[in-house]
Amino acid sequence: MHEPGGTLEDLRRRVREWCATHVPKGWRDQQRGVSHADLIEFLRWWGGELREAGLLAPHLPKEWGGGFSIAEQVVIAEELARGDAPRNALYHVALFNVAPTLIHNATTAQREHFLTGILSGDVWCQGFSEPNAGSDLASLSTRAVRDGDNFVVTGQKVWTSWAMAADWCMLLVRTDPDAPKHKGISCLVVDMRSPGIEVRPIKQATGSADFNELFIDGVVVPVDNLIGAENNGWAVAQGTLAAERAIVVLEMTERLRRNGIEAAFTEAARWRLDGGEPALSDSTVREMLAECHADAEVLRHMLNALIADIIRGADVGGPSAVIKVFYSELLYKLMRYVTALQGVAGQLAHPLLECSGWETGDWMIDYVHSFGWIIGGGTNEIMRNVIAERMLGLPRS
Amino acid sequence: MPLSADERDELQSSARGLLARDSSSDRVRAVVADGPGFDRDLWHQMVELGWTSIHVAEQFGGAGAGYGDLAVVLHELGRAIVPAPFLASAVLASSALTLADNDALATELLAALVAGESLAAVAFASADGSYQLSRLTTTWERAASSVRLHGSAGFVLDADVADVLVVAARDSDGIPALLAVERAAPGVRVERAATVDATRRLFSVSFDGVVVGNDRLLCEPGARTEEVLGQILAVGMIAAACDAAGVTEQALERAADYANERVQFGKPIGSFQAVKHHCANAAIAVEASRAATRAAAEALDGDPGDWSTTAAVTASYVGPACSEACALALRVHGGIGFTWEHDSHLYLKRAKLDEVLFGTPSWHRRRLADAVIGSFEQQEVRQS
Repeated sequence: MHEPGGTLEDLRRRVREWCATHVPKGWRDQQRGVSHADLIEFLRWWGGELREAGLLAPHLPKEWGGGFSIAEQVVIAEELARGDAPRNALYHVALFNVAPTLIHNATTAQREHFLTGILSGDVWCQGFSEPNAGSDLASLSTRAVRDGDNFVVTGQKVWTSWAMAADWCMLLVRTDPDAPKHKGISCLVVDMRSPGIEVRPIKQATGSADFNELFIDGVVVPVDNLIGAENNGWAVAQGTLAAERAIVVLEMTERLRRNGIEAAFTEAARWRLDGGEPALSDSTVREMLAECHADAEVLRHMLNALIADIIRGADVGGPSAVIKVFYSELLYKLMRYVTALQGVAGQLAHPLLECSGWETGDWMIDYVHSFGWIIGGGTNEIMRNVIAERMLGLPRS
Repeated sequence: MPLSADERDELQSSARGLLARDSSSDRVRAVVADGPGFDRDLWHQMVELGWTSIHVAEQFGGAGAGYGDLAVVLHELGRAIVPAPFLASAVLASSALTLADNDALATELLAALVAGESLAAVAFASADGSYQLSRLTTTWERAASSVRLHGSAGFVLDADVADVLVVAARDSDGIPALLAVERAAPGVRVERAATVDATRRLFSVSFDGVVVGNDRLLCEPGARTEEVLGQILAVGMIAAACDAAGVTEQALERAADYANERVQFGKPIGSFQAVKHHCANAAIAVEASRAATRAAAEALDGDPGDWSTTAAVTASYVGPACSEACALALRVHGGIGFTWEHDSHLYLKRAKLDEVLFGTPSWHRRRLADAVIGSFEQQEVRQS
């Protein structure tokens, strides 16, 4: 069981040793092409391993299984990436989106109920985007009408990751259709077993289907499940998640360095260019991979600076958007370069590996997958608006 | 001792204040048009504020702070596109003397450099601008108790105002040496190579059998000299990146101001996403370059064994990113950005020079690839 406190070197050594003994050998090969049910079972098991080790939620307060300083969280994220641990994808929404939101906005009773569930393995999904409310999320139209001690909710959500396995959904709904669009939204917690919920998987461009459409037809939600004040849901959803997001990107950056860039250098020694020479002996290839390496180093420096700013309590809305764009464009660039270098041999299809993050070793699929980060979490085009408006003071479009 | 965070903030704001007042772009234009190419009054103020002593060890009369603090000044000098022999003398030459092993020589020369009483420059590129030792076009040979220099070096910053030149040369066996030479010594000839960026001044320096005493060798010729030259190059690469980050930050601020003020189709052009996204992309480059250069400068206060890779990472990213961001900033201005009167071209030209001043991005990336591949091979050896 890992605990906060002690030296960073000691924590690093202990997490590294834990990874060496607990990350299952050969999981990348074993998890290729498995059914969705098997994938979810594997991820539940892995989440349990992390929980037992005290590594499930280092970013949460101590009473909720965390209490690690940001510097300690950085060490844990680095070591999980370095140890090539499976990505804790199934619990990601619960741990990194929902839990911090609950801690900042929920009542004591709500925290007790839902956070206890999260720490014992409840899966959550997040019902934000709608077919007609994507980049313009605040125009969402899923309605919640008050009926005594309940809301009755009707509408449709989309891009809802892991909804098919979820116990709970954090849902944004319109509670006041007459208010300005940002002021009439509330945040509800919906039991995914409620009558009137229907989940339909959406097959993604990669061929996997870990996100879904969510149909909500007259679903009854107790008023007790309202998070924050009624009609204050926009502020709740935009809450102070900067630190958690920075740690998430940091972990993904470490994975990109190891499983993306380092792997590309290693594999490029085996790839043959059209003329038959090994790709890695070609100076243009070396330049392309070094460019990605340098970008990743720079991204780490930016993350370190961002995390220092977060600790100081600075407003990091703009810099967080910079990092989102920088990370996703780098991921895309690496995959774009590598797929071009691999030639037609890189176009062969293989069974999918879905729990490793964005670097499965199937570069063509990883290339397709990289658009998920460019588009998801606010498209990079919207992020550029945010950067220009918040950091440079340009007028709203 | 490095400065505290507060002291560093104070250094930054005093530098920004001084340069905003005494190195406006109008002033820069006037200074580069005539005279020695830099403003001696401003230079003396910079000396008085201690900028020339920041990273120089106390034993040599410096402040003994560090490169992390020096980077603050370099960034501000870039912001104000200051024409001054700071990079040549206070950064490259002072670092060369500090990093090398001839303490007597360093003691003798650094006191005057720190006090602003003399200037120095470093001639360590080949005539065609390469920083590969094997391609040096300055040569040396032993002669009795002295050394003779022949050939020439290219792209030497501020050589004409330097009292002392630190010169890299190779002998007929390819062994490198590093020497301090009086610029006024017989046989030294300095010739301006005018550059498109008028805020920097480059020279070719030729040596016609110049006689230099053995006591002017900065360190033992051979492997040790090669090591020191690599360190000076790393300092130069990181300093040029700090400058570029400052230049680009200023170019971006000007572009954002213009995008807010200029009205077309009844709105500020900054409300159009095409313009906004150019600005955002430049802002990403500035954020990343600031983080990269700060980290790199801090690394110069650490183990010199890491300098070469750190410098290669920094130069690989910052040079191209900043010149591209300055290009976007120019484009945001439309027609006015293409005029001589507007400052956009001054920022763009300086960023373009910074990008290649100490080697091309392509060379930096190839060297970085060599280092990365080398580190993997070392890991494998250790594991097997």
